[in-house]
Amino acid sequence: MLLQQSMDLKEKLAILADAAKYDVACTSSGVERRGRPGQLGNAVYAGLCHSFAADGRCISLLKILFTNQCVYDCRYCINRRSNDVPRAAFTPDEVCRLTMEFYRRNYIEGLFLSSGVLKSPDYTMDLLYQTLWKLRYEHGFNGYIHVKAIPGADPVLIGQTGLLADRMSVNLELPTADGLRTLAPSKDRSRILKPMRQIQLGIAAQKQGIVPAGRMRPGMAYPWVRQFVPAGQSTQMIVGATQESDYQLLAVAEALYRNYDLKRVFYSAFVRVNDDSLLPALPGGPPLLREHRLYQADWLMRFYGFQAGELLSEERPNFNVFLDPKCDWALRHLEQFPVEAMTADYGTLLRVPGIGVRSAKRIVAARRGGRLDFPDLKKMGVALKRAVYFLTCGGRMYGPVRMDRDFITASLLGDERRRAWDIGQKDSYRQMSMFDDGFLNPAPTADDRSAAVLGQM
Amino acid sequence: MTIFVCPDSFEGILCGVYDAWMSRLGHANVALELADTGNLRLFAEYRQVEETAEKAEKVMKVVRRKAGQEVCERIFRASLSCEEQKADRIYRFLIYALHVGPGIVNMLQIPAVYELFRMNRFVENESRSLIEFIRFSQTEGGILFGTVGPKNDVITLMAPHFADRLNAENWIIYDENRRRAAVHRALEGWVAIQLPDDSFRKRLLASSDQAEFESLWKTFHERIAIAERRNPLCQRNHLPLRFRPYMTEFQRAEKKCANNLARSD
Repeated sequence: MLLQQSMDLKEKLAILADAAKYDVACTSSGVERRGRPGQLGNAVYAGLCHSFAADGRCISLLKILFTNQCVYDCRYCINRRSNDVPRAAFTPDEVCRLTMEFYRRNYIEGLFLSSGVLKSPDYTMDLLYQTLWKLRYEHGFNGYIHVKAIPGADPVLIGQTGLLADRMSVNLELPTADGLRTLAPSKDRSRILKPMRQIQLGIAAQKQGIVPAGRMRPGMAYPWVRQFVPAGQSTQMIVGATQESDYQLLAVAEALYRNYDLKRVFYSAFVRVNDDSLLPALPGGPPLLREHRLYQADWLMRFYGFQAGELLSEERPNFNVFLDPKCDWALRHLEQFPVEAMTADYGTLLRVPGIGVRSAKRIVAARRGGRLDFPDLKKMGVALKRAVYFLTCGGRMYGPVRMDRDFITASLLGDERRRAWDIGQKDSYRQMSMFDDGFLNPAPTADDRSAAVLGQM
Repeated sequence: MTIFVCPDSFEGILCGVYDAWMSRLGHANVALELADTGNLRLFAEYRQVEETAEKAEKVMKVVRRKAGQEVCERIFRASLSCEEQKADRIYRFLIYALHVGPGIVNMLQIPAVYELFRMNRFVENESRSLIEFIRFSQTEGGILFGTVGPKNDVITLMAPHFADRLNAENWIIYDENRRRAAVHRALEGWVAIQLPDDSFRKRLLASSDQAEFESLWKTFHERIAIAERRNPLCQRNHLPLRFRPYMTEFQRAEKKCANNLARSD
């Protein structure tokens, strides 16, 4: 469909928000910046979520595409060239107006600007740069901006845009080069990694003081120092569109954290929006449980000191459906447990299932002032129903626990299985029962019902 | 048992602490209560606490010297809590705080410290949620007006964030449960005021010119959700229902009725 010029702002917003929704990154974290007199906005390090959409995902930023016209024909993408969908494009002024007015009313924390590739990567990147420039210098916007670097765009353009944005991201899309070649024939892994490396080096150079932060230009209205991508860069991978195992995905994520200094890797459960023979059919909906497990493992890698190789391996390439990765790891390493809450160091406490970063910090701080007992741990936010199997307090366990893998697995499973089932089979209900038999059958779907009525078994 | 009845304010509670402490009756024989809460007790003597700046300052000076800034901030936040027991809890906490010193904030195994920590967490969490979820509407003359209905008295904690963020705007945050408002003037400071009634709100909202951006925002909010991933439970976990009546994107036809009513009044 052709680009329609005569559209009002509301129609454009509807189309371009709709087109942007499959992008997962909507965080506004990573940079702390105070307001400037006369300007609009500041930034909070932890980020703020201003609303939550019907799918439960947070709405922090005004997430839109600049245009959903695209010269590429990636098979998984709703905006692929060969799709017949309504197309629209904002003007830089329209984006600025939306951002400023939404921000003033506290609807959003900033702007997330991505785009389909219009004409060429350079042309598109230039449009994004112009928009950001107007927003920063003409409108005096001091809030958070996340912008996509378009692979293949000129490094100068990406470098200049980085001085206006808080976070930049380049989507890896698929974890392996093979997958990318099959589903996105016009994209190339090395072209994706190139801007990523450029952003990484830019951030590093600034940190080490090789490049002075920001450059003063004559006639600049706001002559303060601008930093290059102060909130770091992120990327995203689609889960379940190709045949990669969880181990491969996690290994790629780990490599990205390690070699490219990424702040975040996002995982996006594949939603089949195009009817393409090369895409997998997903009768059970998007692989949400798998995505959930990947995020759990991602947190374990970033905050809990785990490595991909500890959680999964070539022999066990996929996550346990019924247990979260940390419980799963602990059960395979029972020789390291139980841990004594009063004496174990912070790193060891973090590896106990049911103890998180906050509760571990609270335990370490509190035990200096006196003895702790299990009820105290519960008050500090420890999930006792998982932790009791792995923890002693003052040399004693919570109750009679056999340090036996089968026993603990069976005790943990009931609860975990129900939760995993809830994620996998959302929106369905289950008869409550006095005797929990553990048979969690999914509710019949509309298709099942019609098949039963029509006698098609 | 002697019960000291103090006014429901930070200074009032501090004066209560001062009177109870200086009465020299012994910590076990005194209790603090807020005025007009709870039931009267048999066999207890009630004393009214007189609120003076001098007593409050004395208490703060001692707390700051012996227990540090962090404890001062904590008792201030606890005094904003909606719980009826807060005055007595602050008193019990201060007994430990003045004895132990700054390290007391981490000793959650002590029940008095945990209670204060819990009240603090509730107040902080609610104020952070409302910083995220408050919605401003623009009235005539460009004043941004936002209404909240919090359980705790959090607008004094919210105002500094917006004074920094929206420093070039005139805005009002109105707590409709307490009829208190934080009012900010562009490029100057903000003040908290107590209002006799909410007639001004009707006046302000009657002249608001909203339709365009509210409908744009609703469109965006609707379109950004992925239908295949619909998950109302997750949405409710993150965004409890009690905040939603105040939020533009969840206001449907009822809001329009209310607005029309406000206009016809």
